[in-house]
Amino acid sequence: MTIFDGSLENSCTDDFLETIKSHRDEELLARFSNGDRAAALALTSRLAPVVFSQAFRILNDRAEAEDVTQESLLRLWKAAPKWKANKAKITTWLYRVTFNLCIDHLRKSNRNSGDVQQEVVDDTPGVECNLQNKERLQALRIALETLPDRQKRAVILRHIVGLPNPDISEIMGISLEAVESLVSRGKQALARTLAPQKKALGLEDD
Amino acid sequence: MTNKDFKYPPLNERELGLLFDEVQKTTPEISKQFLERLQNQAIEAALKKPQIAIAPEERPLFDRLAKVLAQARGWLPRAGLVSAMFFGVLLGFNPPEFVLDITTAFSQMERLSDLVGLSDELGFYLAHT
Repeated sequence: MTIFDGSLENSCTDDFLETIKSHRDEELLARFSNGDRAAALALTSRLAPVVFSQAFRILNDRAEAEDVTQESLLRLWKAAPKWKANKAKITTWLYRVTFNLCIDHLRKSNRNSGDVQQEVVDDTPGVECNLQNKERLQALRIALETLPDRQKRAVILRHIVGLPNPDISEIMGISLEAVESLVSRGKQALARTLAPQKKALGLEDD
Repeated sequence: MTNKDFKYPPLNERELGLLFDEVQKTTPEISKQFLERLQNQAIEAALKKPQIAIAPEERPLFDRLAKVLAQARGWLPRAGLVSAMFFGVLLGFNPPEFVLDITTAFSQMERLSDLVGLSDELGFYLAHT
């Protein structure tokens, strides 16, 4: 039986997979380095969805988010044999790698498509809710691009990815106070930038 | 601050929160096919490196000795090392007489200074300074 014929579930017993699910990420990574298939499966099932949702929230594109997810995990597999237990948490390390890859993707796509142009928003009554959601997202993303780099990173990690401040502090390599300050200033700037579109985005009626 | 900022009051915390919630709500699930592809890649990567890299400090002593021997290429250095070890063991178990004389002399003296006859002079010097 090969493991690449789509019968992944058959390659490890369910009991063993259940047992291994209770292990910490670091333990699983050590087993992974020893060629343990069940650990590879468990780690991927645990980490891939988290990395994907982080990448999607930043990039807003499924294909690009999948590219970043794949690249982030490949980097983790490469780093696995040299991983030290006292190093940063695996999830924090992955968040940092994923975030940097996303920023690189955004830079490349901005370079290829030129400056982001703000779309004219139609504020006629009766616009579909779905369309308004898309407009809100688009407006937020354009406004985020106007922020200074560090403020943008802090706001994205805090309010788009949804990470707690201590994790952001570790990822960005700055103090907790600095994170709080960046997020606060970033939000104030966003609030001012988005102010003229408040009515168009349907925020006054909410 | 520009006139534009005064004309439009900034969004409040709740309104900003609604925009952020929109992002959270619209995040899709990872697709099953993609997850399977990642799992295949992970298994492939795990099987590529079946042996874990052990840190040098965790290597057993004999591994390190073997490494030293491997580095000393050729039979001559190895033969030298082996014969030195052999004579060391032999001297330990059955020492010749002159070695015994020296070790007995050492064991009967209280201090090293006695061996070279400096004991009295040194005591006098230390007492009067």
